[in-house]
Amino acid sequence: MTPVRIIGIGSPFGDDQLGWLVVDALQQNRYLDQTLRQPLTYIKADRPGANLLELMQQAGIVILIDAMQTGAEPGAVKRFESHEVENLTMPWSSHGIGIASTLALARALGELPSRLILYGIEIEDARNPVCSLSQFDIDKIVRILVDDVRQLAL
Amino acid sequence: MTESRHINIHVPVLARVEGEGALELNIRDRRIDELRLRIYEPPRLFEKFLVGRSYREVPDMVARICGICPVAYQMSAVHAIEQVFGCDPGPWVRAIRRLMYCGEWIESHSLHIHLLAAPDFLGYASAPEMARDFPREVRRGLQLQSLGNELIRLCGGRSVHPVGVCVGGFHHAPAMQEVARLREKLQAAVMDARALVEWTASLDLPDTPQRFTSVALRHEREYPMNEGRLVSDTGLDIAIDEFASHITEHQVPHSTAFHALLDGQPYLAGPLARVNLNRDRMPQSVSEIMRDIGIVFPSSNMFHSIVARAIEIYLAFIEAIRILEDYEVPASPRVSVSPCRGVGYGCTEAPRGLLWHRYELNDAGDVDKATIIPPTSQNQARIEQDLHESLQVYGLDRSDDEIRLFSEKIIRNYDPCISCSTHFLKVDIHRE
Repeated sequence: MTPVRIIGIGSPFGDDQLGWLVVDALQQNRYLDQTLRQPLTYIKADRPGANLLELMQQAGIVILIDAMQTGAEPGAVKRFESHEVENLTMPWSSHGIGIASTLALARALGELPSRLILYGIEIEDARNPVCSLSQFDIDKIVRILVDDVRQLAL
Repeated sequence: MTESRHINIHVPVLARVEGEGALELNIRDRRIDELRLRIYEPPRLFEKFLVGRSYREVPDMVARICGICPVAYQMSAVHAIEQVFGCDPGPWVRAIRRLMYCGEWIESHSLHIHLLAAPDFLGYASAPEMARDFPREVRRGLQLQSLGNELIRLCGGRSVHPVGVCVGGFHHAPAMQEVARLREKLQAAVMDARALVEWTASLDLPDTPQRFTSVALRHEREYPMNEGRLVSDTGLDIAIDEFASHITEHQVPHSTAFHALLDGQPYLAGPLARVNLNRDRMPQSVSEIMRDIGIVFPSSNMFHSIVARAIEIYLAFIEAIRILEDYEVPASPRVSVSPCRGVGYGCTEAPRGLLWHRYELNDAGDVDKATIIPPTSQNQARIEQDLHESLQVYGLDRSDDEIRLFSEKIIRNYDPCISCSTHFLKVDIHRE
């Protein structure tokens, strides 16, 4: 059975916490735990950079959840396959090795899980580190993710 | 014929990337007319945030300044505050602080060597491209980095912005079982760290000697991390309290980061400066590998910085294993402190170089004034000096792309704490 790992990516600042909050809600909801037959683990990571490779080890299916900005309505959920994320232009610096760069590195090393999906949840302003958390319909986001992850893991 | 080219390299502001950098270069008559490394980091204001805060809050606040070298910020801060309080935390705390610093050097240097610097020397545009042809080396680098993170986690509770450090010592002492487990992992990987030194020394590094002044800490017995006097290869030998009487920061119009100068001149801080000045403080096994690789230190080739980083990773492995072998759980992981008014200084060796802190505390131990001088600010004038000399030698009649790539390589070699170290510098070229 393919182990499933759900990784919420974020930081303690404002809306950037959203990835963590969704993981908290998924854990409390327990719907996935009860319906999936595969072993399921949850991780909340604070800007993991290249350490994301380590966090994905031994998982067959990896679900990444992160806040993102594309100009869509706040709270909108977008779903990306791994190869779509890898093609995003993101910087290589010691302080900001992003998901795209890390996934490209994982592919080059042959260490990508057999399936990886990134769910990006739209937020308004990632640049304001001191802003308070905006109102999000976390339950709605969780419902979208649960349905999708169940399909994926079947 | 007069030729004037204006090359403007800049990094767009991107989420989770700290700072913005650009290189402005004006060339006239095949000579550099103007060269400015622009750093316009968003203001961080940490020195002001600290004012009015209790000494107890300082270690956790300063850890937030940097995600890659939080330990350095914590160490310089606690040493400065303990100097005010007249507190000696004793040998156990001293050893575990050194252990934690080993973790940070391993983690930070491994990241820089494998993901940022090595692609430059092997002719790749990015680390993933390099990883396809050098998977073994990149995997080894990531494993070493991971062990560095584990060391920080062991001492600080977590590897990003650790929370275990306090004035007087640590909040928690690692358990013997955790120590034994990590010691075994480090022992199993120590030959990888040694092989990394050989690998970096085998890279085809440019050979362009330059004249520069190295500045680093120097300790009477050991390779410096947390303690020592400030020395240079031009005769400087001062206590860290005297830092500001020789090293002065000044503002330049083109950068929000200060430029620090030693007696009015640029200088180098960081791994190459440390190895240059402290090569006689290496443990025997590190001295042996330094002799075997055939690179003579002190080196005036700035590109030997990558070798110096690898040497320091190996040294950090040797030191960490030694400290873990001698480890005992203490009666208490910290000593009690008595707050008092005064001025204290802390200067430790962050992965990128000297990190100097000065605090003025009131009777309750609250911060009245804080000054923090990070390594990137100290190296900024040296980077400009290096670019000036290296580009002139490289040839200014080369294409804009060649000049841009070469300049990026020079800047990245210093591992600056700015997004200039990116491989995706956007280029905007104007010709007159």
